Amino acid sequence: MTTTIERTGKQLIAHFCGRLDTAAAIQTTEDVKPLLEAEKTEIILDCSQLDYISSSGLRIFLAIRKEAAAKANKVLVKNINNEIRQVFVMTGFISLFEIE
Amino acid sequence: MSESLDFHCQMILDEYRQSLPQLEKLRQLVVKTLYEALQRNGIIVTTIESRIKTEISLTGKLVLKGNKYASLNDITDILGTRIVTFYTDDVDRIAAMAEQIFDIDWDNSVDKRRLHQLDSFGYNSLHYICRLKQDDCDEQLRNIPFELQLRTTLQHAWAAINHDIGYKTGVEIPQEYMRQMNRLAGMLEMADDEFSRIRTEINDYRRRVQQLVQNGKLDDVQLDGDTFHSYLEAKPLEQLTKRIAAINQAEIQEVSLMPYLPVFKAFGCKTLGDVNKIIKNYADNAYRLARHQLGNTDIDIISSALGLQNICIVCILQQGGGRIGLRRFYDAINGESMQNEMLADITFKQAQQLPFMN
Repeated sequence: MTTTIERTGKQLIAHFCGRLDTAAAIQTTEDVKPLLEAEKTEIILDCSQLDYISSSGLRIFLAIRKEAAAKANKVLVKNINNEIRQVFVMTGFISLFEIE
Repeated sequence: MSESLDFHCQMILDEYRQSLPQLEKLRQLVVKTLYEALQRNGIIVTTIESRIKTEISLTGKLVLKGNKYASLNDITDILGTRIVTFYTDDVDRIAAMAEQIFDIDWDNSVDKRRLHQLDSFGYNSLHYICRLKQDDCDEQLRNIPFELQLRTTLQHAWAAINHDIGYKTGVEIPQEYMRQMNRLAGMLEMADDEFSRIRTEINDYRRRVQQLVQNGKLDDVQLDGDTFHSYLEAKPLEQLTKRIAAINQAEIQEVSLMPYLPVFKAFGCKTLGDVNKIIKNYADNAYRLARHQLGNTDIDIISSALGLQNICIVCILQQGGGRIGLRRFYDAINGESMQNEMLADITFKQAQQLPFMN
């Protein structure tokens, strides 16, 4: 699992690649810290290469969203595959995130 | 030395210069005291302003009426603070608050709102001359008076424009224009009263709705944003959500359920009673759907909206809405997307394996 952060103008884009499971969550939590510290930024979580998300992964997404809401940043989840979309539905988080 | 000032006024000006650090300390303490008291009392205001009179302004005042003052502390607006409120009722609430937190010099305080004759309108503001209480500061700060002005946003707008018109040109304003300005003051006074009345009526309505929700008379309450919010405060979905969470011993993440209001409106619900019936009728099958979806996973976090989401899904399916109904539902809560069609398909197939669909 790798996470790379890219800044373009007022956007911070996190590219997730691999399986965001419990084992990967500790490193990913470290990797996404720039997103938590961002101000006046649109945060994009690019999931085009994310194969799987566990509860630990969901918690990381929720933490990013919560921190962004406190700082009036916008969070957009992009390019999630059908399985991950289903996880968002079966946990009830589908209405919480802006998903494209 | 300012050439136009006599010796007495120059002494006062020197006293002012020496007092500036103390005045700044007082300004900060007064503003902090006001902020804290407003927060404690839950009063939201437009602005809190404060300023120490500039040397130029003080000199101007001393030139005009310097002999009226024995010392600097006789000038009561060297430090001025102003609170601008949304509502006229809040001016009185903050006045009562100020009477508690400061010592008021009643002889020099004035309620300009009450100075008008029955047939006159104009500047409206409450001016209190205050001192900090003994326990809140040292003796030196306590001896310095400060002015607290309280007014509404509309009164503030009128006063600011009146000041701008009156002082900008340096020419006396003709009676005709004064009358037009005062006519506007009367209109704004009416608007202020109307805003306060509307706020009071909305608060009364909210209380009545909450009472009806508490008494279970939900059929009498029309469904709208306010009433739906009051209904959700009674936590009608808590039991179902906890039951679903128990499937995987999951943590419940609190989220807003307000995005579901348009869904219930689309279902044709007119009252909270209609919403409550749907929740009661479909709660068991909503739980079965969640058990079917989550039971075979290790997911241990759910949203507090999951119970309501599944209730809506089951309601759509049991009323024959099928895939199209589900697609519309996902579009409503998640924004329109082609992928919602796929989600609707998956949900439909999963639900078909459950007893309520057969």
